Amino acid sequence: MSAAQVLSSQEVAAAVPARFAGVRRFARAFRHRPSGVAGLAVLLLFSLLALVAPLFIGQDQLDVTKVDGPLLSAPSGHYPLGTDQAGRNVLLLLIWGSRESLRIGIIATALTVVIGAGIGIVAGHYGGWVGRALMHVTDWFIALPSLPLAISLAAVLGQGETSITIAIAATSWTATARLVRAQTLAVEARPFVERARALGAGDWQIMVRQVLPNVTPLILVSSTLTVAGALLSEATLTFLGLGNPASITWGEMLNNAFFNGAFTADAWWYLLPPGLAILVVVLGFTLTGRAVEHVLDPRTEDRS
Amino acid sequence: MVLRQRPRLLAAPAAAAACALLLLGPAGLATSAAAATPSSTSGKTLRVAMDSSGVDTLNPFTAYFNGSYDIFGAIYPTLTVIGQDGRPNPYLATSWSMSSDHLTWTFKIRKGLKWSDGQPLTAADAAWTLNLIMTNEVAGTANGTLVSNFSSVTAPDPTTLVIRTKQPQSNLTYISTPVYSIPIVPEHIWKSHVADLKNYKNDSFPVVGYGPWQLTGYKTDQYATLDANKSFVLGAPKYDHLIEQLYKNSDSAVAALRSGQLDYIEGVNATEYSSLKHASGVTTTQSAGNGWTGLELNPGAKTRSGKSIGTGNPALTDPTLRRAIALSIDKQTLVTKVIDGYGSVGQGYLPPAWPEWVWKPSAGEEQTYDPAKANQLLDQAGYKRGANGIRINPKNGKPLALRLGIHSDDSYDAAISPYVAGWLKAIGVKVEIDPMSMTALNSDLGKGDWDMLMDAWTNGPDPTYMLGIQSCTTLPDDQGNGGNTDAFFCNPAYEKLLSQQQTQFVPAQRAKTVDQMEKILYDADVDLMFYNKTMLTATSSKVTGMNTGTPDAKDVYPAQSSFWSYLKATPKAGDSGSSSSNVGLWVGIAAAVVVVGAGVTVVRRRSGADDRE
Repeated sequence: MSAAQVLSSQEVAAAVPARFAGVRRFARAFRHRPSGVAGLAVLLLFSLLALVAPLFIGQDQLDVTKVDGPLLSAPSGHYPLGTDQAGRNVLLLLIWGSRESLRIGIIATALTVVIGAGIGIVAGHYGGWVGRALMHVTDWFIALPSLPLAISLAAVLGQGETSITIAIAATSWTATARLVRAQTLAVEARPFVERARALGAGDWQIMVRQVLPNVTPLILVSSTLTVAGALLSEATLTFLGLGNPASITWGEMLNNAFFNGAFTADAWWYLLPPGLAILVVVLGFTLTGRAVEHVLDPRTEDRS
Repeated sequence: MVLRQRPRLLAAPAAAAACALLLLGPAGLATSAAAATPSSTSGKTLRVAMDSSGVDTLNPFTAYFNGSYDIFGAIYPTLTVIGQDGRPNPYLATSWSMSSDHLTWTFKIRKGLKWSDGQPLTAADAAWTLNLIMTNEVAGTANGTLVSNFSSVTAPDPTTLVIRTKQPQSNLTYISTPVYSIPIVPEHIWKSHVADLKNYKNDSFPVVGYGPWQLTGYKTDQYATLDANKSFVLGAPKYDHLIEQLYKNSDSAVAALRSGQLDYIEGVNATEYSSLKHASGVTTTQSAGNGWTGLELNPGAKTRSGKSIGTGNPALTDPTLRRAIALSIDKQTLVTKVIDGYGSVGQGYLPPAWPEWVWKPSAGEEQTYDPAKANQLLDQAGYKRGANGIRINPKNGKPLALRLGIHSDDSYDAAISPYVAGWLKAIGVKVEIDPMSMTALNSDLGKGDWDMLMDAWTNGPDPTYMLGIQSCTTLPDDQGNGGNTDAFFCNPAYEKLLSQQQTQFVPAQRAKTVDQMEKILYDADVDLMFYNKTMLTATSSKVTGMNTGTPDAKDVYPAQSSFWSYLKATPKAGDSGSSSSNVGLWVGIAAAVVVVGAGVTVVRRRSGADDRE
C-alpha cells in the first residue's frame, strides 16, 4: 500500500511540471558543456548591450552632422576605439550596430524557420506528388548559388534592411525544409501518430499537434545555426553596398571603412572591431547551437 | 545624373569592383599584376594605373569609357591639342582660320607625317574620319553630336582640311583633341572595316596609328602595352615602353605603387592620398578638378511640350523650398569630412580645371550655410512644423518627405547622404535615402520619378555638352523618351544665352555669356553644387615631369591630361628602370617550374598506377 502511495505521489509530482522537468534536465546537461555556456554568455552580453544601447547612446552621437570628433583618429582615452571618417566614436557605432545586425539576423532566421518548417512538414506529411513537388522546388533553391541570388533579390526589391532580410530568408530556408521533412517522415511512422489517425485526427491536427512538437527541438537547433549564417550574409550583403548608407550595422561599418580607404590609412581600429564583433557573435550562436544539438541528441557528438 | 549619355564620364562602379575582387580573390590580383611584365623589352618602362573605368572597346567610334580615350589619345592623332592654357593648340593642324561668315573653317595640316606602317598621314585621313562619323550611324555612336552641325568636310589637298558648318560653331577647334574628343584614324586601314564597324574590335597588334605611343597589346580587363614613337612631332616620349594596368580597386593600385610595381596613379581617394603623402618613394600632387559633385532637386519635371510627368514631390516646384534646402547644406563640412579637404566648395557650374569658364557669385549673392535663414524662409512661406518637427506643405497638407536617390556603387554618395539627411532634418524636411543602381537611377530620372538625386559630372575643356544638358531641348517627349536633361531645368533666358555663346568666336566674349548662364543656374537651385574635388595623383619618386604646369598658391597644379603626363614623364637619373618587373618575371618562371614539375609528378604517378593495375 505504502509502496503504491509513494508511486502515485511520484507520478503526481512528475505529471504536473513535466515540461519544466524536461527544461531542467536540459539545463543541467547544457551546464556541463563549457563551450555552449561561453557561447550563450557572449550572446546574452551582446543582446543586453543591444537592448540598453538607447539608454546611453543618443542620436546626436550617431548623426554625422552633429558629431565633432577628430576625423579617423586612432584610439585614445576619449575614443577607446578611435573615430570614423565623419568623427563618430567607433565604440558607439559598434554597440549601436549590434542592434540592427542582430535584428536582421533574428528576423531573417524567424522567416527561414517559418518557411522551412512549413514546407518541410507539409512535404513530409502529404508525401505523394505534393511532397515531391515541394522537394523539387527546395532542390531547385539549393542548386541556386545563394550569394548572387541574394544580390539580385536585394537589387530587385530595392536596397535596405527589409530587402536584405527577405533575401537572406529566401536563400537559407532550404536546409531547414530538408531537415524538417526527414524528421516528419520519422515521426509519422511512430505508433502514436497512427493512434491519432485511428481516433479520427485530421491532417491539420496531426501536423500541428503530433508532428510539430516533435520536430521543434530540431528546428530550434537548426535556427541557432541559421542566425549565425544570416548574420554573416547580412554583413556580406551590406559590405557589398546593398544596405542603406544611413543605417548603422556591422556590415555597413566595414563597407564604409573599406571603400573610403581605411586599409591604406592603416585605420585598423575602424576595420577590426566590426569584423571581430561579427566573428564573436557568429561563434556564440554556433557554440550555443552545437551544445543544444548535442544535449538533445547525444548521438551527434561523435560525428562532430 | 551621372553618365547617362556618356559612361566615360565617371569612374567604374565600386560595387562591381568589390564583386570582381571577391570572385577573383587575391589570386586574381596577383596573376594580373604578374602578367603585366613586359614580354620582350629593352629600355625603360613606365607603368601607370589605367583609368578605373577600363577599356570598353578599342574601336574609337563606339568607345565610351575614359580608359579607352586615354589609349586613343596616346595612339591616334587629333587636329588640335589642349595646351597648358586650357585652349586648343597645334597638333596635326598647324594653323586654322575662319571665313568672314563664320561658317567655313580651313585647317593647315602638317606635312611629311607617316602612320606607323609607313603610309603618309594627310588631311584626307582627317576628312575621311569626320565624314564617316557624319554619315555612318555606327561611326557616330560615341562622338556624333560633335559633328552634328557640320555640312561638309573636304580635303582639297594633303595639307588642307576644310570644314563647313550649318550654323556658326564657336567650339569647332575643340572637336578633335586627344583624350577629350574625336581621334583621327588611318583611312587605308579602316576603309575595309566600315561594313562591320559595330563589331570591329581593332585588336590586330601593333595597331596602326600615329601618336606619342603605339599600342602593341591589350589583355581584356588587365593591361595594355604600348611602345614609344621616338619621332613624335610634339617631342619624343622619354620612356621606351608604357604599360597601362587596370586595377578595379584603388587600394590594390596603391599597394602596387608602394611595392614599386607601379609608377603612377591618377585619382586616388582622399584617405589614400593622406597616407601616401608621408610614404617614402612616393610623390603626391593635387591638380585642378574637372568635375563637380552635387544634388539635383526636381523642379517639377515637364516634357518638351510642357506636360507634367513623373512622381516628383510637388513641394519642390516652390523656389523658396529649394533655396531653403540650398542654405541648409554645409558644403564646407562636406569638403572637410568627405573629401578630407582636397577640393573646394562648389559654386559655379563649370569646374576649376578650365579657368576660362569658371564663375563665382559676387559678394552678397553667395548662398552660404545658414540654417536659421532657411528655417525663417520656410516659416514665412507657411510651411508649419507638424508633430515630430516635420514641416507640412501648406498646398496639400502633406508632411515634407523627400526621396534622396543615390548611386549604390558610389562611396562618396554613400558618405554624403547621411549629412544631407541630417541637415534637412534640421530645417524640418524628412529624407528617405534610396540607394539605386546607376541604370535604375537614370531610368527614374528620365521619367521624372524622383525628388532629389545625387549627381556628379566631369567635363572636358569645351563646355558645350555640359551647358547643353540644362537646355529645354533636352527634355523628353510626351512619352518620356529621348531626353538627356540633367535635372529638367528649362529657362528661356538661359536658352537664349545658350545659342548666343555658340556664335561667339572671341573667347572672352563667349566666357562672359557662359558666366551669365552659370549665374542663372546658381540662382535656380535646381543643381546644388556641393564641391569640386581636386584630382589626386601619386607618382613613384623614380619618375619626374609627370605633373605639367606650375602649382598655384594652394599647391594645386593646373588640370592634367594623360596625353601630356605620359609624354613628359622622365626617368630619374641613375634609375635602372623597372627592376621589379624582373622580379615578376622570376616569380613567374619559378611558378611555372613548380606547376610543370608538379604536373610531371602527377602524370608519372598516374602512369605508374596504370602499370601496377
